[in-house]
Amino acid sequence: MPVETKPVALSNETEKNSCIAALHARAGLSGPVIAALGLFSLVVPLLPGEFPTIVGVEILILSLFAGSFNLIYGYMGQMSFGQGAFFGLGAYATALLCRWYQAGSTDIGYMQFFLALLLAIPVSALGALVVGFFLVRLTGIYFSILSMAFGELLFYIVFSWYSFTGGDDGIQGIYPPALLRDPHYYYYFTLAIVAVATFLLWRISRSPFGYTLRMLRDNQRRTAFVGVNIRWAMLLNFVLAGTFAGVAGALWGPFQRSVSPTLLGWMQSGSPVFMTLIGGADFFAGPFVGALIYTVLNAYVTRFTVFWPLTIGTIILIIVLFFPGGILSIIDGRLSRNRGSRDS
Amino acid sequence: MRKRILQVTGLDKSFGGLHATRNLNFELFEGDLNAIIGPNGAGKSTFFNLLTGYHRPDSGTVLFDGVDITNRPPHQITRIGISRAFQVSNIFPKMTVFENVRSAVQAQMGMAFNVFGNAAKIGNDRTAHLLSLCGLGEKSPNIAGALSQGDKKKLELTLALAGNPKLLLLDEPTAGMSLKETRETMGLVDRLNEKHNITILFTEHDLSVVFNHARNITLLHHGEIIIQGAPDQVRSNETAQNIYFGEHY
Repeated sequence: MPVETKPVALSNETEKNSCIAALHARAGLSGPVIAALGLFSLVVPLLPGEFPTIVGVEILILSLFAGSFNLIYGYMGQMSFGQGAFFGLGAYATALLCRWYQAGSTDIGYMQFFLALLLAIPVSALGALVVGFFLVRLTGIYFSILSMAFGELLFYIVFSWYSFTGGDDGIQGIYPPALLRDPHYYYYFTLAIVAVATFLLWRISRSPFGYTLRMLRDNQRRTAFVGVNIRWAMLLNFVLAGTFAGVAGALWGPFQRSVSPTLLGWMQSGSPVFMTLIGGADFFAGPFVGALIYTVLNAYVTRFTVFWPLTIGTIILIIVLFFPGGILSIIDGRLSRNRGSRDS
Repeated sequence: MRKRILQVTGLDKSFGGLHATRNLNFELFEGDLNAIIGPNGAGKSTFFNLLTGYHRPDSGTVLFDGVDITNRPPHQITRIGISRAFQVSNIFPKMTVFENVRSAVQAQMGMAFNVFGNAAKIGNDRTAHLLSLCGLGEKSPNIAGALSQGDKKKLELTLALAGNPKLLLLDEPTAGMSLKETRETMGLVDRLNEKHNITILFTEHDLSVVFNHARNITLLHHGEIIIQGAPDQVRSNETAQNIYFGEHY
């Protein structure tokens, strides 16, 4: 007889806790949190000085990046350590076309700039399609390791292809069109794109496909036995996630005026993982809250100390050890205690 | 003349040196409510795995409703009309009971890849209908992972029904259930067969359940069919008594 894989027997307590966590995910905390973040994001450029606005642009872009990652992690239940590859592909697609349009100058027209941004969509989608084709055959730790391997592979291609990508020098001198060189304008431009993308992510998470992802997260075998082609479902999701990451990457280069191969690397792939864990993977708003906290800390802590990795490492350690559901699950837990609806 | 819905010919499957099924010939007619019994390791689950595409047979063919489904993957076979409930309940533990069934209903509607719709507004009526049919109506808002064993098995059956099957395969549908739950579940199985015209094949260790509900019984041993026939025939068969009933009576 074949050995059938049986679900891991959880102790009653653990099972109950994970069920409570799932219940909270649906309690509707994400709606108000996203609305609050959205309102706050409108007034960030009014804060004194340019620095908050510059940090704000980074938060917006990385929010979208982390949100794309959580399609794979929080919804589909697979951990990807290679999401940076698609962020980087998007960034390079846009940067290369911008450089071509600029032709040695710093001038670029609005239409040309928008076209360069749009190019990131098919390039990152195609990249995710190729990588995903191999990845969706695996789950769990094998999925994670292979995602990292593919990320590194793409990193080395960009890193070593001097004639096309500029190798480890990257590409310098990518400029947005005149008006968008002002960080305040670029901020609102980014906000508009990230808002649309976030709306789309929200719709996907609530769609029948969003629930197909939850089925995949909970029980792959059962998902196949309700009639879903699980490989195709995982592939579609991987391509969607890669595309959103690519759009985020596209916005990065023109803002920083440069791109480099590290945008595809494993450090870059790690940041949405940290952000999502900080915010809470069970919540739609989790990665967005996490991106805010991570980026603000990064921006301000590095002013006082060079020990940024030590700081963020400590924070992650505390979160993972004591608040494994992330910040939002702490808030949600308190709210439901006050409502008296927590049934433990 | 009733229509033949399932025809299995010469089905062989071995794992290493172990023959899980050996030259199995089997058929079901529309409206059948039949059982497969046999000691542990007789090949019952393997047989189900072969029918539903979870394992590929080494040789032999499976015809369902005139279509050769021998090497099709599980999701295609499910869409063609064979649903399956597992022995160990296979549900979506972090979702509510209602979401469990609604997601399966949406998959049956061919909407699993719909990224634009609002899941909360699709297939609710059919979901509610299935849940009340299976006696889970009141459990709708509960998290599936926190249900009792018996309710998990009921949910498992509901998920199988969401596929709108012509043929339903139940692997020990009452395992782990109380006497009351067993009676309810088998009552439901009878109703599904008689009123909803679903052909059902089930395995079961509880022989009183088997003899009270199945119209035709197949005894499997070491991957081979020992005897096949009406309950009384099987009950009085000497080989069957030696192989199987001896352990229980």
